[in-house]
Formats: sequence, C-alpha cells, structure tokens
Amino acid sequence: MENRQQLEKLLTGLSNINLQAGQKRRLRVDVPAKELPALLELLKGRAGFMHLSAISCVDWPDDEQFELVYHLWSYQIDTLLSAHIRVAREPGHYLSVYDIYSPAAFFERDIHEMFGVYFEGSPNMEKFILTEWNGPPPMRKEFDSEGWVNEHFDWQDYHPDWLNEIEEQGGGIAIRPEEQRFSRTKGE
Amino acid sequence: MTDFPVKVQNRSSGNIFTNVFDELIRFARSRSLFMLHYCTGCGAIELPPAMTSRFDMERLGIQPMVTPRQADILLITGYVSVKTLKRIILTYEQMGSPKYVIGICSCTVNGGMYWQSYATAKKLNDYMPVDLYIAGCMPRPEAVISGLQQLMDKIKDGQANSWEDYYRRYDYYLGNQQRLFGDDWQTPTDIIGEAHHYGLFDEGTEGAHTELLKLHQHPLEPLGMTLNAHKIKQD
Amino acid sequence: MRPENYQPKQHPASTEYELNFGPNHPGIEGNYAFKVKLHGDKVVEAKADGGYLHRGFEKLMEQRLWIQNIALVPRICVPDPSPMEVAYSMAVEDLCGIQVPERAQWLRVMQLEMSRITAHLFYFGGHAATTGMYSPMFWGVADRDLVLDLFEELTGGRVYCIYNMPGGVRRDIPEGFLQRLSQLLDYLESRLPEYDDLFFSNHVLAKRAKGTGAMTQQQALEWAVTGPNLRATGLAFDVRKNDPYLVYDQLEFDIPTEKAGDAYARTLVRRNEMVQSIRILRQVIEKLPAIEGPIRAPIPNPLAWNVPAGDTYVRLESSKGELSWYVVSDGGQKPYRVHVRGPSAMHAVQVLENLAVGARLEDIAQIMFSLDACPPEVDR
Repeated sequence: MENRQQLEKLLTGLSNINLQAGQKRRLRVDVPAKELPALLELLKGRAGFMHLSAISCVDWPDDEQFELVYHLWSYQIDTLLSAHIRVAREPGHYLSVYDIYSPAAFFERDIHEMFGVYFEGSPNMEKFILTEWNGPPPMRKEFDSEGWVNEHFDWQDYHPDWLNEIEEQGGGIAIRPEEQRFSRTKGE
Repeated sequence: MTDFPVKVQNRSSGNIFTNVFDELIRFARSRSLFMLHYCTGCGAIELPPAMTSRFDMERLGIQPMVTPRQADILLITGYVSVKTLKRIILTYEQMGSPKYVIGICSCTVNGGMYWQSYATAKKLNDYMPVDLYIAGCMPRPEAVISGLQQLMDKIKDGQANSWEDYYRRYDYYLGNQQRLFGDDWQTPTDIIGEAHHYGLFDEGTEGAHTELLKLHQHPLEPLGMTLNAHKIKQD
Repeated sequence: MRPENYQPKQHPASTEYELNFGPNHPGIEGNYAFKVKLHGDKVVEAKADGGYLHRGFEKLMEQRLWIQNIALVPRICVPDPSPMEVAYSMAVEDLCGIQVPERAQWLRVMQLEMSRITAHLFYFGGHAATTGMYSPMFWGVADRDLVLDLFEELTGGRVYCIYNMPGGVRRDIPEGFLQRLSQLLDYLESRLPEYDDLFFSNHVLAKRAKGTGAMTQQQALEWAVTGPNLRATGLAFDVRKNDPYLVYDQLEFDIPTEKAGDAYARTLVRRNEMVQSIRILRQVIEKLPAIEGPIRAPIPNPLAWNVPAGDTYVRLESSKGELSWYVVSDGGQKPYRVHVRGPSAMHAVQVLENLAVGARLEDIAQIMFSLDACPPEVDR
C-alpha cells in the first residue's frame, strides 16, 4: 500500500463500513462487530497496520452497549486508524484478536477486569491490577466510586492541638467536621 | 515464646544512672536510623534527591536498608493502594521494635488527591500507628529531611512510641484491617505473643476481632497467584 | 560432612524454585512485582504482577470537571509527568477546536524536552545501580535536580509542574530563564564526556549489558514496543517525526538508532537522545524570543465548560515510548471516558515476561530498567 488514498479506496469498496477521515493522519471506521476480525486481517496484511496501539472500551448504558475501539498504526503509510464496534452490554462477550495482534492480550485483560467484557480466545483472562478486589467491575457507569469510598473508608479526625488554642481565643473552623459533606456522623 | 517476659523500661525510675543510660541509648538510636527502601507511591521520586549528594540525608545518619528485619523507619511515601497496604502491614509487623512510621504526602493524612478513589486507603492511622506526617504533594527533599529531624528529636526525647500503641490496641487496628481486607485476613506474625514478650499486653490487645482472627487462622501459604493458575483452569 | 562422602540427589524439584521478586525490592523500578520460576540461576517462567499503584485514574477523571483534571493528570507517570499534561490539554483542544498560539507551542516543546532530559538522567542512574555501580545514580540525580530547579522557576512545582492547560500554558517564562537554561545546557554537555567515562564506555557495563534482554526488530514490532526500545533494534521511528505534533516539524533533530536490540543498545540510544534533546532546546532558545503573542487561547468559563461531543486519540512521544490518550466527551462538563495507554503497558508486562525467560536472575533487574518500565503507567 503506497499511501492513504489507496487505503481509503480499498476501505470504501467494502460493504458495511462507514469511513470518516479526521485530521491529517487519522481515520475512523465504524464496522459491525462480526466483521472486525476480517477487517483487522485485511489491514494488517495489505496496508501494513502492524502496530496495535490500544483497545479502548466505552460504556454507553443508555444504548445498552459497550463500544470497543481498536487503534491501529501503519508504519508504511503513517496513518492511525480507529475501528469502532458496538457490543451488546448484557452478555458482554466478544472475540479476542490475540491471534492477529499479540499485544491485544494486555488490553483485553484490562477491559475484562474493569468493565466485565469477556473475550473468547484470549490467553489469560485473570485479573492483573484488581487481584484483591471483590466488588463490581469498577469502570462501569453504575459503579459509584464516592459511595463505595464512604462505605468502606473512614476520614481523618480533625482536632489538632493548635486548633484547641485558637478555639480558646474565640476562633475556630467554619464548618464543623460533623457537618461536612462526606462526614459519616452527619445528621446524628 | 520465651518463658520470662521482658518488661519495657519504666521511664520514671528514680535511679540517675539508668536515666542517663536511657538517654544515651535514645540519643544513639536517633542518630543511626535505617530507612526501609520501599517506594510505595508517587512521593518516592523525591527520595533519591534526599538521599543523594544534594540534600544529603546520610549526614544525619539515615541510610536506606533493603530488608525490613533490620530497618527502623518505614517511610510510606505517598498514597497507599489497598493491594500495597497489605504488603505494608506485613512489612511493618516484620520490623523489629522499636520502629517508626512516617507518612509522607497528603494522601496518607486524609486521602489527598485520590479521596474519591475506590482503590486507595484514606486514613493510614486506622491500619497502623503513625509517628509523623509530612504533608505536601509532594514534599520537597528539604521538607522530608526536616521531618526526619523532627522524628530524631522525638526519639531523643522518648516520645516516638507509637510502636507500643500497636501492641496495646491491636484489636482496634485489626478490626480496621479486617473491615478492609475481609474477615480471613491474617499475617504470619504473632502480635499477641509479642505483646506478652514486651510486657505491653493491655486491655485493647485482645477483643472481638482477635477472636475472629483465631477462627480463621490457618497455616501459611504464599499470597495469591501461582504461575500456572491460568493454565490449570483451561485444562 | 566430608566432600568425598557427599552424594547429591538429582531430583528435579530441588533445582526448580519459585521466587517472588516482590514489591519491596531495590531491583524493581517502583512498586511492582514479578514472580519467576528459576531453574538454578536461569529463569524458566516469569509472570508480572501489577496493581500496587492503582488509583483508578480513569474513574477519577470522570468525576471531575475538565479543568479540575489538570491537577490530577501529571501524576499518572511519576518520573516524566510533562507529556501527560500536554496530552490531556491537546485532547481537550482537539475536541473543542481550539487553536493554540505559537508561543505556547514553543513553550510546550521546551517543557517536554526538559522533561525528557530529566527522565533520562533518572533512568540512567537506575540502570547503573542494577549493574552494581552506584556513583552514576548520584551524578544523574544531582544533575537532574538542576533541571528541576528550572521547572521550579516556571510554576513552583519541581516534579509536577502543572504548566499546561487546554488552550496553552499558564504562565510565561520569567526574566532571564532562557539564559539560565542555556547555561544549564552548556553544563550538561560538558558532563556528557564524564558520563561516558564513568558509565557508557565502562567495561563493566559492556560485559553486563551486551546480549542481555536482546530482541530482534521483528519481535519488537510484534510485541508493540515503542520508543527508545524500538529504536535500539534499528527502526528509526519517532512519533515526533512520523506523526508530528506541536512545532516538531519545524525543528531539526536526528533519531538515534542502534542495531543490537539489547540492554547496551537501549542505554546508548537514550544517551544519544539526551544529546538530541539538548540540540532541540538550543533551537528553542534561539527562536523563542522572536515569537511574540499570547500564551493562551481564550476558553469559556472553565467552571461551566461544556466540551462538544466527540472523541479524539492523541499520541505523543514520552521518554519511554509512545504515549496515547483516548478521550471521549458527550457534551458535558466532565469527561465521559478517558483511556490512558502508557508505553510501559507493553514494556513492563508482556515484553518483560518474554525477555526474562532464559535470562539469569541477576539480569532481570537490568532488563527491567533498560526497558524503562514505569509501573505507575501500567496501573494508572
């Protein structure tokens, strides 16, 4: 593949693909989920897209879908192509592209523990970062991080000596600790 | 365990010579501290400048040491994620008394910048006693050295005794640890036995949480992951 | 027992040993663990274990306003925080369509190259420590401190100088900054021959590092290796040249490469990159006074700022490799999704596992440091 025009011609010739050209070296492709592996093989073989930069996952709870984005870079034509697919949220399954790109294993493992999406065929779906975590997948939109923190952790008590001296002279802090927004003792 | 308990020295004893001797011991101890070289978080990037030639920490007698068994100070440099907190507690219990904990950076004080994060511990004081906090994000090497000098003064005056608090109120600390890590949390160190050994067994050492610990204690296995776990599952 | 009476038993299990190269170890850069299975002295299997530095950045960033995240962002990569700030600012500018004024772009390049020099100075001290030489660490950290002094002049922060914001930079450089920077570059250039004498041409380093952790170019491309590690295998690829951003297409610099792909080659590439960074900084010092103009493009009220919906993928060359950010906005006041892909995500996990197999135990630390694997980027 010589340059970007040839690539765009190749891609627009395929059916079911929606191609958008971004700024100078960016292309965006939207494909149906079942056609992604074939597209990746085509890009790797014909257009030199040897480098899988990242696989990102975006959670769209209103559409009940996960959007998986595969970012590929071609060393030959200096273009970055992002392939977007949508996967249904409820079973949350998809195929692994480990056989095409081996760095995919890291990203698929990461997405599995953060979002709960299972990739069939990926070599290692064990937890990597959250090995001692026993809550829900934390990056989902319904997981409330602040609520979890308020349930499981305590905040520092705030009564240092110098504050006692100030209070003796008539001063003090404006908002008492019990009235602060995150205080566990609020309203008692 | 030993048959006879070794009592912690009574500081207000009347004999002048033991007082002078104690003071000499405390002075010597404060001038030759070994710092555990465990970089637990962001603040660790300001530790090499503090240790090396520009803000030299060795002139105060403080040297890095790699094993907890021979270290005096545990520097918690930065935020503590839940996974690291387990290792820090294990390390703390492995250190020999007297030992000192310094919490560097604001994240150990009250959660710092990551207060909304599900993965960091907010209040380090809940899980182990802390002698000194050095606030900042991150504190300059000069601030770290100034904090270490304050610790040295505290040791010399005999006020850096938070390690005794761990034995005296072990039930409280264990309760917080169990709340975070689950009821089956256990460490290889026998804290209650050591409390007896040091003569620091108090009414806060045993309680409901240590009873729970006794129920769940079992012989040690390595933590978590074996190398071939994922291969075994596929078979 | 007398030596002649000793009959060792040949039992396979007694020669294999599983070792936890755990988080509390001076041979590991940062807070990271590595489980290895050893056959005597050689590694047979290796498995990386991260997550000790996990803060849930991506979740945290979704809960703060666009402008509040600027303070949070440098902390993702601790030794080299400036590319993270620039990447976030560039992503927001892409989404909003803000055009950064030229003076701000030159200032950003200056900050990035200074940060690259500090990261390489810190790195090379660490690498020397793994081969048993401790003086380079003292030299590297001390010289790095002089650059941090200059960063302190900019905003007051030595390591996390939160200098960028969407639209440009926060402040202009103080009086005489460029003179001081120029003097510092002269000093660093005069130190390089001494570093060569001490470390880079050192016979000990050559013996330890040549052949250790070698990868071919084919393997590097397959494992998605980027940055100096890829350039050490012979491929002259640099995001600054092939996918240029800011004003790098107006600057003249070379891309140093080596052929061997082992730890020694990677060290030499980083040394030569420092030379190139100094060259870029000299060009910046020359051209910057002539470029007048604002340092910040106007942005709407940052506390009530609805960034238009869309997504963008920003790539930068940090000192460790290719750093990319994928930012999605749904038109609200907070980011919808931010995905950070640090270069160490590949280097510290899969590449390290593959290279450690077959290496000796004492070389694992050297392989990890020569790959410049930074755990906070893996764990976020």
